[in-house]
Amino acid sequence: MLSVSARLLIAASVVLMAFLGLTGLTLDQAFRESALTAMRSRLQAQVYMLLGVAEFDPGEGLVLPDALPEARLSSPGSGLYARVTDADGIIIWRSRSTLGLALPPFPVVQSPGEFHFQAVQGQADSPPLFTLSFTVSWEVLPDTYRRYAFQVAETRQSFAAEVGGFRRSLWGWLLGVAVVLLLAQGAILRWSLKPLRRVAREVMEIEAGQRAELAGPYPKELRALTSNLNALIQHSQAHLERYRNALGDLAHSLKTPLAVLRGVVEKESLPSELSNTVQEQVERMNRTVDYQLQRAAASGRIALAAPVPVAPIARKVMDALAKVYADRCLRFQRHVEEQLVFYGDEGDLLEILGNLTDNACKWARSRVDIRAYPFAAASRRAGLVVEVEDDGPGIPSAKRQLILKRGERADPSVAGHGIGLAVVRDIVEEVYQGTLEIADGALGGACIRVRLRF
Amino acid sequence: MRILVIEDEAPLREQVVDRLRVQGYAVDAAADGNAGLYLGKEYPIDVAVVDLGLPGLSGIEVIRGWRQAGLRFPVLILTARGRWQDKVEGLEVGADDYLVKPFHMEELLARLRALVRRAEGWTHAVLQCESIALDTGTQTVTVAGQPVEFTAYEYKLLEYLMLHAGEVVSKTELSEHLYDDDFDRDSNVLEVLVGRLRRKLDPSRALNPVETLRGRGYRFRLRRSA
Repeated sequence: MLSVSARLLIAASVVLMAFLGLTGLTLDQAFRESALTAMRSRLQAQVYMLLGVAEFDPGEGLVLPDALPEARLSSPGSGLYARVTDADGIIIWRSRSTLGLALPPFPVVQSPGEFHFQAVQGQADSPPLFTLSFTVSWEVLPDTYRRYAFQVAETRQSFAAEVGGFRRSLWGWLLGVAVVLLLAQGAILRWSLKPLRRVAREVMEIEAGQRAELAGPYPKELRALTSNLNALIQHSQAHLERYRNALGDLAHSLKTPLAVLRGVVEKESLPSELSNTVQEQVERMNRTVDYQLQRAAASGRIALAAPVPVAPIARKVMDALAKVYADRCLRFQRHVEEQLVFYGDEGDLLEILGNLTDNACKWARSRVDIRAYPFAAASRRAGLVVEVEDDGPGIPSAKRQLILKRGERADPSVAGHGIGLAVVRDIVEEVYQGTLEIADGALGGACIRVRLRF
Repeated sequence: MRILVIEDEAPLREQVVDRLRVQGYAVDAAADGNAGLYLGKEYPIDVAVVDLGLPGLSGIEVIRGWRQAGLRFPVLILTARGRWQDKVEGLEVGADDYLVKPFHMEELLARLRALVRRAEGWTHAVLQCESIALDTGTQTVTVAGQPVEFTAYEYKLLEYLMLHAGEVVSKTELSEHLYDDDFDRDSNVLEVLVGRLRRKLDPSRALNPVETLRGRGYRFRLRRSA
C-alpha cells in the first residue's frame, strides 16, 4: 500500500510534467510558425527588391544590375540565392551567390501574382532550403506580356539555429520551473501532512507509555479522529478500572459471608452431618467464586496500552513469595532479559506468574526457576514464553489433565495445585490464544510452560 | 501475644477475635483503617491481621503508615479476591503473608504463630532452648524429651519468654502482650504464673530456665539451639 505522501507526490508530479510538457510543445510549435512566417516575409521582400531593380530591355530581355542592394546575393555561398527563369523554365539570371552551386529546380507557380513558399530537402550538392517563387507577367510592349518566374531561396541553417536556440532555452526554463515546482510541492506536502505524522508519532508514544493522550491542537479535519481516539483511550482504561473495582466489590461481598459461614460451622457444635454438608458447599461456592472472578478479571490487550516490561513483574512476584515462604529457604532464580516486554495487561501477567510461581513454591524442595523469552526469535511482538520450574516431586502424566480441569469441576478432593493452574490456563487460552503445557523439568520437578500470543 | 485485627465486616471480625481470645491471645480490634492505624501505633502489637478492602483508609495505606512510623511487627493481609496485584502490592508495602477469604481459623492461627516466630528470628516451628522444646504448631512442650502439660496462659507465657530468649522482658511488657486492657497491672497474677511455670519446667530446680532480674523483669536464660 502506497503511503499518502507518495500518492500525492506521484499524482501531482504526473500532472505537473504533463502540463509543462504540453506547454513546451505548444510554445515550440508557435515559435516555429512565427519563424517560418518571418522567413517567408523576408524572402518576399527580396522578391520585391529584385522586381524593383529588374528592367526590361527590348533587345536583351529582362536585365538585372550587377550591384544589388542586398549584398548577400552578391557574395558566393552567403546562403541567400536568387534566380529568374522565363516562361520555358530557362534561367535568364542568377545571383552571384549561386556560383558553384546547383540549386534544385523550384516549383514554379503558373498563375502570375502568386507567391509559393516551400521547404526543399537538401540534396547531394545543395543544402536544405526555403524557397519562394513568384511569377510575374511583364508587359514588354503594350498588350504584349512575357512571363518571368522570380525565385529566391535561403538555406535553412539560420532558421534551424534560431529554432534550436529557442528550444534549448525554452526547455531549459521549463525544466527549471519543473524542479522549482516539484520542490515547492514537496514542501507543501510535508507541511500539510505534518499533523498526520504527528498523530502517528503520538500514537507510538502512547503505545510506548510516554504519553497518556494525543496533545492538541490539530487541524479540524483531524480533530474528529484525534478527539475520538483520546476518548477511546480514556474510556477503555476507565472502563477496565471500573470493571475491576466492581469485581473487587463483588468478591468482597461474596467471600466475607462465606468466611463468616465457615467460621460459624467450625466453631459451633453442629451435628457432624450438617456441619460436613455446609463445609462442603461453602468450599464449592468459594472455589466457583474464586475461579469465575479470576477468569473475569483477565482483560487481555487494551487498545493503545503501553507494553509491560516482564523482568520487574517477575522480580515483584519472587520478592513477594520469598517473603511468604521465608521458612522454606527456597532459592529463586530468574532468567528474564531486562528489555523483554509483554503486550498485554500487567494484571494478567501478574496473575499468570503469581499462580505458577506460588504452585512451584508449594511443591519445591529447595529451588524455583522462572524463565521468560520471546516466542519467535524473528519478531519480538510474536509472543512470549514463560516457564516456571521447581525441584519438587513433579506431576505424574496421568494427573495432568485432571489438574487443569480443576477450575471447571471445582473438585476439592484433588489436593495440591490449587485452582491457580486452571485459572492460568483459562487466561492463557482464552485471552491470549496461547497454550499451557505441563512438562518434566530439568530440576526433576514440574515445569509449567506457557505460550502467550499478542 | 498481642494481636491486632482490622476487619470491617462485624460478624467475621467478631469470629476472629473470639477465636483468638479462646486461644489465649490478647486481641485489639478495629472496624476501619483509621482506627486500625491508630491502634497499631499506640499498642505493643506482636502481629496484625489486616483486611485489604477497608472503608476509609485502605489496608495498604494502613500498613504503609505503620512502616513509615518505623513499626516492624509482622502483618498478615486478608484479601477477598485472590488477585495477585493485591497480594504483591500488599507484600511490597510491608506485609509479610496473605490469606484469601474464606479461610480456616486453624490456618489463620498457624500463619500468625509462624509470623511472630519468624519476626523473633526463629526459622522452625519448634523453639528449642537446650533441653526445653516448644512446638508452636501443636502447642506442646517437652523437657528433655518428656511432655509437660500447661494451661493456656502458662503456655502463652512460656512461648513469649522463649520467643524472646536471652532478652529481658519486663512485667509491663508481659502483661501488655499477654492480656487485654482490663487486666489489673498491680496484681501478682504474673508472679504466680511464672512460679507455676518454673515448677513444671524444672521440678528439681537444677535448670533455672527463667531468671528474675529485680526491678527489671524476667529473662529466659537457656540459649537457643535452633
